[in-house]
Amino acid sequence: MQNNKIDILIARLLSNNITVEERKVLDDWLSESQDNKKHLGRMINLWQSSSPSFNPEEINAEHAIHNVHQKIAENERLSPKKSLKILVWWQRIAAVLFIPVMVLMGYLLSRDTDFNPQTAYQEVFSPYGVRSKISLPDGSSVWLNSGSKLKYPIEFKSGSRNVSLTGEAFFEVRSDKKNPFVVHTEQMKVEATGTAFNVEAYETDTIVAVTLVHGKVDVDINGRRKLDMQPSQRICFNNQSNKYKLSTVDTYKWIAWKDGVLAFRDDRLDYVFKKIGLMYNVEISVKDVDIASQLYRATFEGESLDEILNLLKLSAPIRYEHSKRVRSGSGAFSKEKIEVYKR
Amino acid sequence: MDLEQNLLIELKRGNKEAFTILFRKYYKDLVLFGGSILRDRVKCEDIVQNIFLKLWTERENIEIEKSLKSFLIRSVQNSCLDELRHKQVVRDHELYVEAFNYFDCLDTENYVLYSELQDKLNTALEKIPETYRDAFQMNRFEGLKYKEIAERLQVSERTVEVRISKAISMLRSYLKEYLLIVLAIINS
Repeated sequence: MQNNKIDILIARLLSNNITVEERKVLDDWLSESQDNKKHLGRMINLWQSSSPSFNPEEINAEHAIHNVHQKIAENERLSPKKSLKILVWWQRIAAVLFIPVMVLMGYLLSRDTDFNPQTAYQEVFSPYGVRSKISLPDGSSVWLNSGSKLKYPIEFKSGSRNVSLTGEAFFEVRSDKKNPFVVHTEQMKVEATGTAFNVEAYETDTIVAVTLVHGKVDVDINGRRKLDMQPSQRICFNNQSNKYKLSTVDTYKWIAWKDGVLAFRDDRLDYVFKKIGLMYNVEISVKDVDIASQLYRATFEGESLDEILNLLKLSAPIRYEHSKRVRSGSGAFSKEKIEVYKR
Repeated sequence: MDLEQNLLIELKRGNKEAFTILFRKYYKDLVLFGGSILRDRVKCEDIVQNIFLKLWTERENIEIEKSLKSFLIRSVQNSCLDELRHKQVVRDHELYVEAFNYFDCLDTENYVLYSELQDKLNTALEKIPETYRDAFQMNRFEGLKYKEIAERLQVSERTVEVRISKAISMLRSYLKEYLLIVLAIINS
């Protein structure tokens, strides 16, 4: 009986509804014994745990563990006994700096109907594992992702600015309302004046997509559908189902590749490995269906392939099998292959 | 030997997986515990991550007297209090923190963390017959009035009243000392 009455007083104290007289009763009760203090501590504990200060759903433990693993990896890289690793890291930077950017500069004549046969074209190819930045004759900039090809005229004629793309590229188009800028891919026509947008149109993918960062573009798919896009929208067209999806997205995720950043936001692990493979020119295949569909959040910037693979291994129950690179008849080595299994 | 003791031994040997398991087990609850002292979620997350980072880097030297849970709660408590002192901020709406010097009476060994409490409440709820539970949850968690519940369940208001009061008296007997929480949830 006594205890019940005290509990009510404690509840009033915790919810800030206690009167001066009640508070005095509680203080007296507390000074009576150590056990009473313990009882209050217990009640405060239960009160705190039942009414958290912020929404428990907002706390992302997976994101946090990734953070901590990353910090651990940084610490271990900086510790003196790992000096060998730093050397390897520097070698990597040197390699990147001196990689011959194998930009194929072919002057080609095209008979494409969209293109004027009298115009000279330039074709730029970014090999796998390499990204390129191109400045177009009108002052627009294009970032070409690895394994992609861009074809553009040496000089833009008045009327329109036509370029053609296979693969993925990010465009920052110089504003010129009189001469619209048009990106042609096998299935899409993306028309813009002054704007920034990303186009994905790899020949091997079943999905083609456009992500608009700012400005305005018109997208034409297979000459049948014409759509106006608003900033932060992404349109995704599936070749197989013949369906398209327009959604509002965090555009950073879709354009981060141009700065060498891999940003994943609740993406399936097989997609994660596909993107990593593209950036580092290795073929990674996920061999376990359960693992492939798990969602993953991470941002990688400047890590080596080995570091990324290790970080992924720490936060997901996976293991890797590396296959030897095979030398073909012509003497060239095959692409490095990595298989991912459930651990 | 219990699982957690084993994990601790593995952790001391440098097993990163053991570390990850312990991290996943305690992270959310510790951030929420920190929240009872510091109102800033991001700060609390930083504090807990740093504690785990330290647990890993100093794993060979750390002495854990009682349980890991108690050790972690104390670490979070100390870091949060340091932060408070540093900022000289006192949570005005939680005067009891200073008034009763409550950290002295707090039993870190037997502290009931957020998810442990949720488990207890859920277990108790599961023991109640479904018809009582449904009426109770609609009223207390979804905030529906007796009349609305009666319409939804196609029963009389009187029946709803009976079911809810039965649910409460059953919860009271299952939860006993946790009763205060039920009150807290109901009032919120």
